Amino acid sequence: MSRRTVLAAAAAGGSGVAAARLLGLHRAVPGEPERSPAAPVMSRSGLDWVSPLGAKGETARAEEARIAHLLRRTTFGASAAELDRAIADGFERTVERQIDTPAAPPPPLPGAETATNSSGLPIDRLQIWWLDHMLASPTPFAEKMTLFWHGHFTSEYRKVGLESPFMYWQNLTWRTMAQGDLRSMLTQVTTDPAMLRYLDLSQSTGRAPNENYARELMELFTMGPEAYGEDDVRAAAKALAGWREPRTPEMIDDQIERQIKSTGKAPAPRPQPDPVKTGIFEKSRAFTGGGTLFLGAVKAWDTGSVIDRILEKDETAPFLARKALSAFVSPAPADATVRRLADGFRKTGYDVRELMRSVLLAPEFSAPQAYRALVKSPTEFMLHALKALQAPSLTRLVQQSGFGMGQSLFDPPSVGGWGDHEFWVTSNDLLARANFVTAALGQVRKLPPSDDAHRLFLDAVLSPRTLDALNAARDEKARWALVLVSPEFQLK
Amino acid sequence: MRQVSRRDFLRAGLVFGAGAAGLAAGYAAVPDVLAKAVYAGKKDGVQNDRVLVLVQLAGGNDGLQTVIPLQDARYRDLRPQLGAAAKDALPLTKDVGFNKAMPGLKALWDRGKVAVVQNVGYPNPSFSHFEAIRVWETGDPTRRAEDGWLGKTIEKNYDSAGHPLVGCACGATGLPGTLRDLRTTLTVVNSRQSFKFQGGDEMEKALGALYTSTPGMYGALFDSAVATARDTVAQLRSAAAKYQAKASYSDRRVPLVYSTRNQLAGALQLAAELVVAGTGAKIIHVTLGGFDTHFVEAPRHADLMAYVDDAIATFHADITANGMADRVLVATWSEFGRRPKENASAGTDHGTAAPVILVGDTVQGGLYGDLPDLGDLDAQGHLRHSVDFRAVYQEILESHLGVDAREVLDQRFERLAFVSDPALAGSRSSNRP
Repeated sequence: MSRRTVLAAAAAGGSGVAAARLLGLHRAVPGEPERSPAAPVMSRSGLDWVSPLGAKGETARAEEARIAHLLRRTTFGASAAELDRAIADGFERTVERQIDTPAAPPPPLPGAETATNSSGLPIDRLQIWWLDHMLASPTPFAEKMTLFWHGHFTSEYRKVGLESPFMYWQNLTWRTMAQGDLRSMLTQVTTDPAMLRYLDLSQSTGRAPNENYARELMELFTMGPEAYGEDDVRAAAKALAGWREPRTPEMIDDQIERQIKSTGKAPAPRPQPDPVKTGIFEKSRAFTGGGTLFLGAVKAWDTGSVIDRILEKDETAPFLARKALSAFVSPAPADATVRRLADGFRKTGYDVRELMRSVLLAPEFSAPQAYRALVKSPTEFMLHALKALQAPSLTRLVQQSGFGMGQSLFDPPSVGGWGDHEFWVTSNDLLARANFVTAALGQVRKLPPSDDAHRLFLDAVLSPRTLDALNAARDEKARWALVLVSPEFQLK
Repeated sequence: MRQVSRRDFLRAGLVFGAGAAGLAAGYAAVPDVLAKAVYAGKKDGVQNDRVLVLVQLAGGNDGLQTVIPLQDARYRDLRPQLGAAAKDALPLTKDVGFNKAMPGLKALWDRGKVAVVQNVGYPNPSFSHFEAIRVWETGDPTRRAEDGWLGKTIEKNYDSAGHPLVGCACGATGLPGTLRDLRTTLTVVNSRQSFKFQGGDEMEKALGALYTSTPGMYGALFDSAVATARDTVAQLRSAAAKYQAKASYSDRRVPLVYSTRNQLAGALQLAAELVVAGTGAKIIHVTLGGFDTHFVEAPRHADLMAYVDDAIATFHADITANGMADRVLVATWSEFGRRPKENASAGTDHGTAAPVILVGDTVQGGLYGDLPDLGDLDAQGHLRHSVDFRAVYQEILESHLGVDAREVLDQRFERLAFVSDPALAGSRSSNRP
């Protein structure tokens, strides 16, 4: 049976309904006879997609749909072969593999480690380097999590600058730290050189504490705005003061060279490079005023004990559980779900891998209501499109297009990172997505066949509009354009 | 904290006020013919042809470095480094002066076209960027309201369906919270140049066909975003022929600071085009970020203010040359000012009250509200506000836009008469209220 007859049959069966489900994934039951599309479902929001997840009496098909759903959310797109492998493994094993496989490191980026004032790293190279790894990495879930943490513990190259390796290092650190526990994460975040500069902690001293990092550590990174007061911000700012940025040998050499150029002589004593890629704590710059009241307890606080205190607070686990749930499961997770996952998170000693395991294995993740409940961010949308088009070399186009869609890597709109889901549904954004598709189709040398695209990338769960348009498309290119700009493809 | 979301509205099934029958029939799109008829009906009720351009200075603009106290020794005591700005300030009165980076606004001040409302804030201020932004966006210091004050204004007074430029965010990719309202259609135009379908008519039509009665919780949102994009493209296409910039927009007088998204001049040029070309734009929102100056504030803040100054002054010159200056009010806002005492990094931390600057031919130029009192800071060293920000909103709504502020704000405030009475436009006199 050809793709055309499938579409035609389903179109006839589905005419006049608002949501038509064509077929499950074709691998489910080879040679299965056509069936009428399921009846549209009226939900509280009006007409809903017919979820292929957890459909009763269709176990194999539901399982395959569930795996496709998982890969849409945990990777930047799956090829037919990758989907086959995951189906062979099954849902749980695929989740275990994603969670337990250590992140594959990206190849070193030439010029990044040695960046200095005289030899800055162009931002497009840094962005393309990461985009390439998102597509090429054998552990795409780790890249998904790195992007998630980049939006959460965010830093911006415009403030940090690219005249040091700091932004590059931060990306490497965020990728590996997600394998550990929250305490170690928060320690790495707090002393990350790019973060030290972005939120001014490297400018903060015990005598004159800068509150910027202290506030965001509590408000945006761990507990939310209700969990602390202004006195806590001041106390934490004192306790966290004393860190400075590290200097690489190249930064030192460059500094000396510049000084010689301008003054004719080298600085004495010659400054020494630091052996570490994290902030350096200088006791002489720290707060020495003794005990202060912070989050309800009085003692002589330091960076470690501030983080410990935050981890003792009841708000922290739910705050992060909610963030993970809204990124991976549902835009508005139920309080009960948040509590359940938060309890588990705390019980495992804030093991971040266990939190993510519980998110992906939660019944809510695979519930029919979760189907197409999230909107792909611009980066996700564009990379999914390149994956579908088998055109991994077009990452420069992704790099060039992200800004106009509101998501440029290393360049979040504010310290709060990026919005999500409905935030991306604007006139500007949808127009920019359509323009990206036009440009990408213009640059692809050889289009892959589009016959299976509606199944592989849209689960064959199509609105009648999409169905009609695909049937009417005059050639491969037009069909690909429709698949990629369709509302179905924007969702995950 | 509960997130505000258009989604909640969609769940409630109230999209465009359609009931269950409307939902079943394809709730997402109001047929264009119908929308236009509704618009015409409502348009009769629109009181005037005035336009509001709101400029958000995101990150917390330092009011004391913007409108600088000239006589107050405490200013220099609190700000041993930043306080040097007082000696180069451009005096507005004997007591205060604009930052030296604001010559364009100073010239407009001299012509009576700038009002400065001093020491604007609200009770129990938040020091969180996001909470404070939400307060200013919604006009609700209790942080319960979800819709933006201008979104609500549009919903109550103008018909946006099929006319997305009634409310437009220029130079942005996302919808600012100020314009958020679930029953209104609003557009977002990041770049004038790229706001067209690169795939031509074919792509535009395909998108229109695909995004109709889209199922799912985002369906209505998707459909209206695409319809809005198409409408906006059409409007911009016809606007191009009706507008010519009559002032020079320079993005380059000031080097871009902190973010190239801060192309305020480009965003305001688009705003001028929308106004001059008669696209029906009523409320335009633009944003400049980078004001969170915790560290070495002076040079960066001066660059940012120069950027604001250049963009607003040029915008004003342009709409004046295009004969539209009597219709347009520009108002700045920022989520908070900064703490009077500078920090050890030669920057300032999050604060409370700050001035609001209003520019336009309908403005009654002068200072409003009291000077910030640096001798009466609160226990944490913050300014005590003396003008509620909602009093500023009230004056904009009632005297400039000519709409009923009671439908948007839940309290009445004493009038701050910085807008000359529309009926008396042209008879402005003194610089002092």
